Amino acid sequence: MNTMATPQEKFIFANPDKVDRIFSQYPDKKSATLSLLHLAQAQEGYISGSVIDTIADLVECHPAIVMDCVSFYSMFFTKPQGRHKIQVCQTLSCSVNGADALVDHVTNKFSIKPGETTDDRRFTLMKVECLGSCGTAPVVQINNDYHEGLTNERFDELLESLP
Amino acid sequence: MPLLKIDDLEIEVKNGTTVLEAALENGIDIPYYCYHPALEIVGSCRMCLVQVEGMPKLQVSCNTFVGEVPPERKVDGNFDMVVQTQNDLVIQERKNILEFLLLNHPLDCPVCDQAGECYLQDYSFKFGNAHSRFDEDKRVRPNEYLGSQIVINHNRCILCSRCTRFTREISGTSELFVDERGYSSKIAALEDRPLNNLLAGNVADICPVGALLSTDYVHKNRIWNLQKKSSVCQDCSVGCNIDAFYQKRKIFRLNPRENQDVNGYFMCDIGRYGFHRFEDLERVARPLFKSNGIFSEISWDTAIEKISNKFNGAEEKVAGVVSPFHTNETNFMLGRLIKGIIGTFPHIEDEEITYPSGFRISSDRSPNKRGMHDVCPSIVDDLASEINDKEIRVIYILDNEIDKEIDETWNKILTKMDFIVVQAYAMTRLAKSAHLILPGLAPFEREGTITNDQGRVQWLRSVLPNNGESRPDWEILNLLYKTGERFSDINELMKGMGEQFPSYSGMTFFKLGDQGLPLNGNLKT
Repeated sequence: MNTMATPQEKFIFANPDKVDRIFSQYPDKKSATLSLLHLAQAQEGYISGSVIDTIADLVECHPAIVMDCVSFYSMFFTKPQGRHKIQVCQTLSCSVNGADALVDHVTNKFSIKPGETTDDRRFTLMKVECLGSCGTAPVVQINNDYHEGLTNERFDELLESLP
Repeated sequence: MPLLKIDDLEIEVKNGTTVLEAALENGIDIPYYCYHPALEIVGSCRMCLVQVEGMPKLQVSCNTFVGEVPPERKVDGNFDMVVQTQNDLVIQERKNILEFLLLNHPLDCPVCDQAGECYLQDYSFKFGNAHSRFDEDKRVRPNEYLGSQIVINHNRCILCSRCTRFTREISGTSELFVDERGYSSKIAALEDRPLNNLLAGNVADICPVGALLSTDYVHKNRIWNLQKKSSVCQDCSVGCNIDAFYQKRKIFRLNPRENQDVNGYFMCDIGRYGFHRFEDLERVARPLFKSNGIFSEISWDTAIEKISNKFNGAEEKVAGVVSPFHTNETNFMLGRLIKGIIGTFPHIEDEEITYPSGFRISSDRSPNKRGMHDVCPSIVDDLASEINDKEIRVIYILDNEIDKEIDETWNKILTKMDFIVVQAYAMTRLAKSAHLILPGLAPFEREGTITNDQGRVQWLRSVLPNNGESRPDWEILNLLYKTGERFSDINELMKGMGEQFPSYSGMTFFKLGDQGLPLNGNLKT
C-alpha cells in the first residue's frame, strides 16, 4: 500500500486563473492532470495527499488514477523536498567524468545520501538519468539550471551561493 | 464479411473482430494473460503474439482487428488477413515472453493458492523454457493488504492490469492503480482508500496468476482436492450463477460462473462469502417432537402421523408459511397442501446497488420471492391479522433464514398456536418455538428451481450431501399428501406444477441447463 500520509488540510490553488487557463487548453478535464500537477508542485514543493484529492476533484476522476500518473513520472515528488534540488547526472559520460565524486562530496558535506533532504530543508540530493549534456560532463542540474563541467571546488562555490 | 485465415482454418468473421477472439471462438488456442472479455483491451502481457502476413513484427492478437481490405491488397487475392499462430517464430517468442514474465517470479507453486488453476503455470509448462538464463538476484517484495479481503503477492504479479481495469470499468471505484513505472511498478491502493467495495473479491478471480489472493481462501486447500458443482447464488434475487468448490461436507469457496443474461462474469462479496453463515450451525438431523418443553427424537413415520392427525378434519384452520428462500417446488407443495391460509413472513430488504457496468445487487436479499408468488398465488398480504381473524390454531412454517428474528407480533401469534410445525435445517429461534421440527436441507444441499426478479428460472443444484436423516423439503411435504396425490419424483412434481401454472409448464432440469431460461413461454419450446 502506498505510504502517502493521509491528507490533513485541503489544498487550494493560489491562482485560480492559471487553473482556468490550463483547462481551456485541453479538450477534456482529465487531460489537464499533468499540467495541474506541475502547477501544484510549483506552489507546494511536492505532491501531497491533499494535492492529489484537490486535482482528482477538479479533473473528475478517482485519486488513485491521479496517483498512478504522479508515481509514473520521476519529476513529481510525493515527499517534501529541499529548497534546492541537486540533481547529479549519473549516466555514462558524467559517470566516467567524476559524477560519483560529486555525489560523495555533497554526502560528506551535508550528511545526506541520494534521495535525502537536509534537516534545514535547504538541499535535496538526487541521482538522475541522462540530462542530455554529455559533451560538458559532469553535469549537475540545480532546480531548473544546468551547471556543466563541474569540479569539487566550483561545486562548493555554487552550493555556498545558494540561500 | 472479411475472410480470415488462421493457420489452416479459413473463417469469415465480423468486421472489427480481434484475431484473438476469432481464434478462441474457432477452437484455436492462443495463450493470453491481460485480455479479458469484460475488460478494455490493453495488450500489455504480449503473450498472445501471432504472425500476421505482411506485417513486419509479430502482433498482439488481442489488439489486432480484422477488417475488409481492397481487392488489390488481399493476400493470395482472397484473404483479408492471414495469421500464423503455431509457427517457429511465434513459438520462440512465447518462450521469450515467458522468460521475461518469470524473471522475478518466485516459482513458489508448492505454496501458491493459484497452483493447479494458474495460467502462468500452465503456459510455462506448455510453451516455456525449462530453465531461465537470469542469474541475478530476484526482486523480492513483501505481501501487502489492498483491502480487508484481498492480499497481493507482488513477486508473483505479472502486471497484466486486469485488476486495475476491473476497479475502473466494472466496479467504477478505481481503488487500484499501477504505482511507479518500469522495474519498480507494482499494483497498489491509496492508504486511505483501500479496496473495500462489494465486488472486490472478483479481482482475485480474474488475476491470471497467484498475485491477488482472497484472505478467505488463502492456504485453506488445494484446488485438486476440491470438487466443483455449478449452482446459483442464494443471497439476493439476482441469482448470480456460481461454481461451488467443496470437499466432502464443506464448501471452500464460491466463484462466479459466466452467464451473460444474469451476472456476466462476476459476483458480489455478499454472495461470495455468504456460505460461511451455514457452517457450524446446530443442525437438525432427525425429526424432533417437543413435550414438556424438551425436544426428543422421533421417527419420520411418527412425525408424519402426528401432523396428519392435527390436519385431519381441521384443514380450513391450518395456516402455511411459504418462504422466498425455498425452491419453487417446495413452495408449490406447501401451497397446494394447505387449505386454510397461505402467507409469508415480512421481507428482508436491504440497499439496492447498481454498478456502472450494470452489475446489480438487489434490495431483495432472498433468492426466490418472484417464484414463490408465481407458484403460490393465494399468498395473503397480512398473514398475522388473517390468522387472528380466522382463528387459526395450527401452523406449518418453512423456515426462512437462519438469522431471522421473530418480532413481537409473531411471538404473540406463535404462543397462541396449538400446534406449530417448522421445517428447518438448523435450530433457529423459530425452530425452537415449534412443537414439531422436520429436518429439511440447508441452502447448498437443496435441489430445485428458483426464479429471479427478472423472471429467469434457474436450476439450483445440490452441492453438499444430506445431513443425517434430513430429507429434501419437497419430499417431506409429499409425505403429508394422501397416497394417491403424491408425486413419484421431482420431475413429476415439476410437471404437476406446470399443469397448474402454465408459465412453468414444460420445465425440466435438462432444459434449464447451466444458464436457466426466462419465463414467458420459453420453457415450453
